[in-house]
Amino acid sequence: MAIERIFKDEASEEKGERARMASFVGAMAIADLVKTTLGPKGMDKILQSTGRGREVTVTNDGATILKSLHIDNAAAKVLVDISKVQDDEVGDGTTSVVVLAGELLREAEKLVAAKIHPMTIISGYRMAAECARHALLQKVVDNKEDAETFRSDLTKIAMTTLSSKILCQDKDHFAKLAVDAVMRLKGSTNLESIQIIKKPGGSLKDSFLDDGFILDKKIGIGQPKRIENANILVANTAMDTDKVKIYGARVRVDSMSKVAEIEGAEKEKMREKVQKIISHGINCFVNRQLIYNFPEELFADAGILAIEHADFDGIERLALVTGGEIASTFDNPETVKLGHCKLIEEIMIGEDKLIRFSGVQMGEACTIVLRGASHHVLDEAERSLHDALCVLSQTVNDSRVLFGGGWPEMIMAKEVDELARKTPGKKSHAIEAFSRALLAIPTIIADNAGLDSAELVAQLRAEHHKEGCNAGIDVISGSVGDMAELGISEAFKVKQAVLLSATEAAEMILRVDEIITCAPRQRENRM
Amino acid sequence: MAAPAISMPSSSSKTESYVDNKRKEDIRQANIVAARAVADAVRTSLGPKGMDKMISTANGEVIITNDGATILNKMEVLQPAAKMLVELSKSQDAAAGDGTTTVVVIAGALLKQCMSLLSAGIHPTVISDSLHKAANKAIDVLTAMAVPVELSDRESLIKSASTSLNSKVVSQYSTLLAPMAVDAVLSVVDPSKPDLVDLRDIKIVKKLGGTVDDTELVKGLVFDKKVSHAAGGPTRVENAKIAVIQFQISPPKTDIEQSIVVSDYTQMDRILKEERNYILGMIKKIRATGCNVLLIQKSILRDAVTDLSLHYLAKAKILVVKDVERDDIEFITSTLNCLPIANIEHFRAEKLGHADLVEEVSLGDGKIVKITGIKDMGRTTNVLVRGSNQLVLDEAERSLHDALCVVRCLVSKRFLVAGGGAPEIELSRQLGAWAKVLHGMEGYCVKSFAEALEVIPYTLAENAGLNPIAIVTELRNRHAQGEVNAGINVRKGQITNILEENVVQPLLVSTSAITLATECVRMILKIDDIVTVR
Repeated sequence: MAIERIFKDEASEEKGERARMASFVGAMAIADLVKTTLGPKGMDKILQSTGRGREVTVTNDGATILKSLHIDNAAAKVLVDISKVQDDEVGDGTTSVVVLAGELLREAEKLVAAKIHPMTIISGYRMAAECARHALLQKVVDNKEDAETFRSDLTKIAMTTLSSKILCQDKDHFAKLAVDAVMRLKGSTNLESIQIIKKPGGSLKDSFLDDGFILDKKIGIGQPKRIENANILVANTAMDTDKVKIYGARVRVDSMSKVAEIEGAEKEKMREKVQKIISHGINCFVNRQLIYNFPEELFADAGILAIEHADFDGIERLALVTGGEIASTFDNPETVKLGHCKLIEEIMIGEDKLIRFSGVQMGEACTIVLRGASHHVLDEAERSLHDALCVLSQTVNDSRVLFGGGWPEMIMAKEVDELARKTPGKKSHAIEAFSRALLAIPTIIADNAGLDSAELVAQLRAEHHKEGCNAGIDVISGSVGDMAELGISEAFKVKQAVLLSATEAAEMILRVDEIITCAPRQRENRM
Repeated sequence: MAAPAISMPSSSSKTESYVDNKRKEDIRQANIVAARAVADAVRTSLGPKGMDKMISTANGEVIITNDGATILNKMEVLQPAAKMLVELSKSQDAAAGDGTTTVVVIAGALLKQCMSLLSAGIHPTVISDSLHKAANKAIDVLTAMAVPVELSDRESLIKSASTSLNSKVVSQYSTLLAPMAVDAVLSVVDPSKPDLVDLRDIKIVKKLGGTVDDTELVKGLVFDKKVSHAAGGPTRVENAKIAVIQFQISPPKTDIEQSIVVSDYTQMDRILKEERNYILGMIKKIRATGCNVLLIQKSILRDAVTDLSLHYLAKAKILVVKDVERDDIEFITSTLNCLPIANIEHFRAEKLGHADLVEEVSLGDGKIVKITGIKDMGRTTNVLVRGSNQLVLDEAERSLHDALCVVRCLVSKRFLVAGGGAPEIELSRQLGAWAKVLHGMEGYCVKSFAEALEVIPYTLAENAGLNPIAIVTELRNRHAQGEVNAGINVRKGQITNILEENVVQPLLVSTSAITLATECVRMILKIDDIVTVR
């Protein structure tokens, strides 16, 4: 039977079983790809760019890996998306969410093979997810009231997050750094005011937190290198000459001295501009554009510290933290908001000189200076620290805390199992499958650590049969340990987000019964 | 077929997925092999009898060097893990400046040991953690071995600088270059921040001609620039008053486009005269302050000086050096203790720098400008490097840079250790003993770490044409008997107390080589997949 072609050349359509198969396999391949990075003993990946320069990134961060992948599979893209959302929303658990979704699909595949309708699986998963969330809610600990305990909770969470990253050898140091930085934010989740500066050289241990703002720029020649009680004008203005910007504008003169006069007038204009700037009563001037020699000298004569060519990011942040506004005209000094800080000085980090603004108006601001052996290390350290900062800032708002090390998964699995036993009908298979998928997370953590996962997970299950148990996998010693004693904690918000978005993603992929691929662009070297 | 690339419809192809352990092993294997290939490439350049490499770059340039960092930098490696080794060498260059070959050789040896550990079925993370522990222990051992050194102890500083220089092409000049490096670094140490040395305060000027013997440390300022001769101006000025100017002594030019309209020929004369007067006016102002040396910043907008202005400047007996780069201005002004002048109106006597003598010296085929006897000179130093050909010159500069770094290391961390493979053998012995008291896998891995360190004396001996096995076993023996400082004396071809032979190196070089090499190896070990991305 000849059917007329509905689609364009090269476009294709996959239906029913085949479509579901394709999306299952694609999603699982993605999950398997990042699976090995999970947990404190997870491995790293080299990301080799096919673009120019063939840059190399070494990372353990699920979101970073997935973000940069070439992906052709629709279902795989859904997983990449949930990982991205997880990254934006809570910052950590980007790998867990993909792995859990992958496991849910793996279980679903078996169920589909056993002729259970996808819709039944979906409704079973939904019930199971709801039940798992309740199980977690019952077990959360909230120490918001007690500042001391809360702080130690935060430190524990930071340590747990960092232990799977490159910073794990110095996690005490970095956990303290991250907690200090986040506590300064006083509840806001705006990580903008935490600036991270990377400077190669030294070792990771030499990284430090500075309670000011550091600008990676130089002070102009002959200008003061240290200013107390600074009034800062942050500006974005041309400091060469105010040109007439009409094309073809030209001046006709009839003698050389006139030209000299024009030149003099241009200089005069510049001088006026500088005078106007100085009359704001400032002693520090930061410009986004270049400051040429002439104005630089004028500033030096007036004893004003002038910083040229600060990048856009730096300028905005500086304006934010010093409480000033970026100005571009200087006619009305009274309307311009100046920034203030207690001290500006030049400091040396490694080989480079930088400028530090300390005692800034916005007390929340701080700078973390990262030191490390190479750019690879620094980039990865920044990603790791960013994860920790995200999680901490979220936890400050939602201070509910859980244990880590596979403990929450065990709790959820147990409750979901209970539910499966109580639920009549085919749904109970799906619910049971959900519990198996949850158990996969501790299994993978153990596998990555080179431990006997079957043995450990079975032991864990036995432990969890007792009421009020704190058992989880202690990867370091390779056995089942008490998570409360080991101080392994995780934020409730992260776990909840992992659970819910993984379920939703799995559900979405399960619902698919047809994939229509549009005509692809020609591309070689597909993965 | 337009089916998605990762979708694998048939169940048989599912075994091809990424969880396959074979693939992980392969990736790791490939990484280690590639990284070791890089290490092997530079291995022969280690030590005083190490050989040099000739690198011919894509644009036909030839470089001959013994400096590990330079060799690796020029090698165009593509394999990601091999790239990491190149990065490693760069990091060592940044951290310590010397030992760039050592660090790569150690990393190569560690990787070799890791291969056998991996094939014994030990989990990579276990190896990685054990290596970290071993490295920490190694640092403790090294620190315990180290001898403190005072900055006033010039002899010791020179010794360590010459150890670094001995392995270079220019080794026969080490008696000259080593004290020079020490003096250069010591002269820029700021008493208020005694631990910090900014090598940017030491300017190395290269000039072809002469031999490396003619290299000198100049207390003052050296420019690889000619004095402008256009109009027969002075080339030697005593009691100089120097101005660094950032404006141009040439006819005015506005930012607005302008044109001078000439309507008849009498006006032409007038314009010419005006131009002359304009320039003369400027030069008079300059002259009025007593300035007799002008350093003029290069300008892209217009000519910094014209023939006309040079003529007048020569008449006014002012020595002119033009085309000074803007980047150099800060260095020059801090050396001369003067301020740059951006406008003729601001030309005042108090902004000038003072020096006893400014002169142009001809060297071989070129000329340089020397400023000496600077009043209130800033904490900067110039080294003038000479060499008979460009290759020697470049290598001399690199070697001098290494020597400067060595001295800098000593300023920031004032400890010395013996050279000649002595610390490595001692580390190997002590770690080997420590491994025996450790439990489980850790002990096994630490033992491998200890064995890997023997690569340094082994390679030293091998490069010197000695029997490496005999030497290394003999060394072990001597160290076991408590001769902590026994090392390979490459000159004599035997084992002696290396500390007495004045072969010493800064502690920082050794410690950073071990920590950085370990960190890099751990990173390579933890990689289990290479993913191609956009």
